[in-house]
Amino acid sequence: MNRSAALANALMLTLLLGTSDSLAGALGALLMFASVVGLYGLCMPVLRPRLTGTSALLAGLLLAATFSSCADLLAQRWFLPWQQTFGLYAGLIALQCVVLEHNGFWRSSLVERLKLCGMFGGLMLLLAGLRELIGHGSLGRGLSEDWPGFVVFSEGLHLITLIPGAFILLALLLAARQALIRPNSISKETHRP
Amino acid sequence: MNRTASAFIVLLLAVIGIGATYFVQRINAPQIAAEQRLIESRKLLDLLPLETYDNQPLEQPLDLTDTTLSHSTLSGGYRATRDGQAVAILLRTQTQGYAGAIELLIAIDTTGKLLAVKTLEQTETPALGGHLGDWPNAWLQTFTGQSAKEPTDAGWALKKDQGQFDQIAGATITSRAAISAIHDALRYFDEHRSALLGSGT
Repeated sequence: MNRSAALANALMLTLLLGTSDSLAGALGALLMFASVVGLYGLCMPVLRPRLTGTSALLAGLLLAATFSSCADLLAQRWFLPWQQTFGLYAGLIALQCVVLEHNGFWRSSLVERLKLCGMFGGLMLLLAGLRELIGHGSLGRGLSEDWPGFVVFSEGLHLITLIPGAFILLALLLAARQALIRPNSISKETHRP
Repeated sequence: MNRTASAFIVLLLAVIGIGATYFVQRINAPQIAAEQRLIESRKLLDLLPLETYDNQPLEQPLDLTDTTLSHSTLSGGYRATRDGQAVAILLRTQTQGYAGAIELLIAIDTTGKLLAVKTLEQTETPALGGHLGDWPNAWLQTFTGQSAKEPTDAGWALKKDQGQFDQIAGATITSRAAISAIHDALRYFDEHRSALLGSGT
């Protein structure tokens, strides 16, 4: 992956960190993301062979913008409290579709694509669960109107609910992953004279 | 396949996209507006427990007369009802604080007792008088259950002014303004009780 692709993929961080304040927020964002990207993935293969170069990207942009604005309107109708907090990120989903198009995500195999989406969803839910648990001391709050969620402890660590806290937590998760998948290489390093 | 065909498809997509968005927006607009009103009124009215009323108080503002009171001005009044019976009157009142106008929403039950007070707007000094804007607010809760006659007129003041209420630390003027506005609203309720509660009570 070249440098500009990595930079474009980093745009995903905004969505990941911004909406993972609570499980409810992350689930809403995932639902919206899945429906917009899913619809986009259904429509684009029909259009792609009929378009050339830049116009394919332009068509993708139009399609993504249409789907995400419709999804945003429907979210306003059924999940207004969620939309008022996270509606800001809805536009980024459209941008994400175009980034995926540009980076050749749709050219890879279906299994690979599903794996990538599953990993992103898993990471988002894990991050949201941890942030809600540490930051608010509860789990699943706000998922439904008459269920307050599991309250584990009453006062949470406020920092984790903020974006900088999310960065720190993400870094810790990455560090944990590194430690888990590469324990051998580290032990090799320590044995060097 | 040529450029013209591509351009035509893009143009067609643009038209379909704009059309679809416009259509979705048009058919959902009334429901979205209703949802927004519901959320706003819940936010504004969170000083009354949701189950105590079943109407939309903000949709039926009351006509108030003589809205200029001795220390404050009433800017609106609403009636919360349950099964057609009035359960509370909400008065929106404006007074002058230390730094600027303070707007309070005061809920009074049918017997003239204060149910709750909420600050809607204030520009008082942060960390001093600004605490008036906190919600839930322990200081404003000390007024719950009081009425215009109880305590007496002299008692409706800060302890500093020989009254019976504590003040917000370091914010005498803000506290005085809030107390006078609350007292004004309770007196106004007593004076206009039948008009505010409407027929049937």
